[in-house]
Amino acid sequence: MIRMMGATVALLVAASPVQAGNSLIAPGAKILVAKSALAVTPASEWNKLGARPGRNSESWTLDGDGLNEITFYGGIPDGRTLFREVDKRNRPLPKVSGTMLITDIPALLESSYRIALNTPLMSIDSVEPARFAGAAGVRFTYSYTRPDSEVRRLGEARAAMIGGLLYMTTYEAPALYYFERDLTAFRQIADSAAL
Amino acid sequence: MKRLAVLSGIAFALTAAAPLPPYTPAYEPTGVDERGMWMQADEAERQMRDSPFVLRDPALNAYVRGILCRTVGQDRCQSTRLYIQRLPIFNATMYPNGMMTVWSGLLLRVRNEAELGAVLGHEFGHFEQRHTLEGFKRARGLGDLLTWTALLSPTLYSSMATSVIGGFYSFSRGQETEADLLGLAYLAQSPYPAASATPVWERLMAEADATAAGRKRKVKTHRYSAGFFASHPTELTRATYLRDAAAKANDPGDPAAAAYRAALAPFIADFLTDQIKLNDFGGTDYLLAQLAADGWTPDLLYARAELYRQRGNPRDLASAAQFYQQAIDGGFAGAEAQRGLGLSLLRSQQLEAGKAALRRYLDAKPGAPDAAMIGALVGQ
Repeated sequence: MIRMMGATVALLVAASPVQAGNSLIAPGAKILVAKSALAVTPASEWNKLGARPGRNSESWTLDGDGLNEITFYGGIPDGRTLFREVDKRNRPLPKVSGTMLITDIPALLESSYRIALNTPLMSIDSVEPARFAGAAGVRFTYSYTRPDSEVRRLGEARAAMIGGLLYMTTYEAPALYYFERDLTAFRQIADSAAL
Repeated sequence: MKRLAVLSGIAFALTAAAPLPPYTPAYEPTGVDERGMWMQADEAERQMRDSPFVLRDPALNAYVRGILCRTVGQDRCQSTRLYIQRLPIFNATMYPNGMMTVWSGLLLRVRNEAELGAVLGHEFGHFEQRHTLEGFKRARGLGDLLTWTALLSPTLYSSMATSVIGGFYSFSRGQETEADLLGLAYLAQSPYPAASATPVWERLMAEADATAAGRKRKVKTHRYSAGFFASHPTELTRATYLRDAAAKANDPGDPAAAAYRAALAPFIADFLTDQIKLNDFGGTDYLLAQLAADGWTPDLLYARAELYRQRGNPRDLASAAQFYQQAIDGGFAGAEAQRGLGLSLLRSQQLEAGKAALRRYLDAKPGAPDAAMIGALVGQ
């Protein structure tokens, strides 16, 4: 089970400072996420993980981040990475740029995952226009495999550049069973996003 | 201590062109340590066999295996199983049970069969000399020594630990030198020229410099002396003693550059894509220039354009648009060049020209996975 730990959060727990504990997200209430003005209204219960992938982000799960994980990125500014660096000197992550086109957002996530998770098996599988948090944005799907677990995971994301800041939410889970099971719950949360 | 490692390497260099040591086929591990290591290696190989990271193209596997066999000889190569892994890093590994892994980043960086043979021969040298076993026994022996010293004489421990640990890393560097020179002895007895090992290390140093410069880090001076904890000799040391040993071997031959380019041609675009997404602008641009030593092909121009567009400074976007256009003019086959050109121009505020290129992309590839997104950008 330890080897099946999920992507961003599991990767970064070790480097994190002392964490607040995990907490329960109650259904039906509007809640601000990722230390930002981004608000969502989940229809069902989720667990918020105490460990944050980075400064302006937070992760939710149902059964543990290796089995299902939603991550919110709340306005990443120009010059910042998507999540915390894993090895800044030797494997620096790409940075958000205020002039990015929305087509550059999936490429940024792909490159960040490839570097942070040490895997070339990460691909963007579809990209289409979609509204996110009230702005014109992008919806994309992706898949990846980590070298240490070799479980194939699928992901879906919505993102937009709003006022030069990157707002995004991603959902990912093992391709086998879990991804399909909770996809509807994720889409409801992504649809509810507002600034 | 560092000097000792270099000296032992030079002593071995004098005998590098001597006949190869006798080889035992179908070797079985002996002793509890070696049997245990083989058992672990066998388990690692069972996982490797099913790994999604292994490239299974039969032609590529047969080709790389052929290079190994021509380098170390048919009898030796029979005992190895070779796995090509899709990992964009310069590396190859050898397990004590005869499993060899070759990484795609290595295939991207060598220029001919002889250079690849030099690296694979080095790895085979570790196997033939059973270095993993020696290293394991040495580490355990030193660990035991330090533990007893710490218990019996804590004051002596503090002064002793440094020299014992330093001795271990120096021992590891000695093994690397031994494998380097055994690899050179294989090359000397193969159809390939023995002088092929040196350029690999020289280019690796230049690429590391380019990576550092691209990241605005200080470009380090390459040294002969390895750091205290270095498990390998420095690239400069390796390039130097290998050049000296190759000169002594005086072994001309055909490095088979054209055959290598032809065999790798179907894979280079994928390997380059993996490299470009590593966010290493300086190193990747150096690597592309090396690959373009005989001229910039449309494929290499496209890769360079992608690299520049990814970094995305205003001047990079201007360069990227230029490279995409050159790739298109040179006959680049994929519609992706129009996509890249259009996106670069859009980000450079050249809206009409950018949209025109994106329309050409959609006309050529209406079913593309991002067709709806690109369509939205051009306002269709």
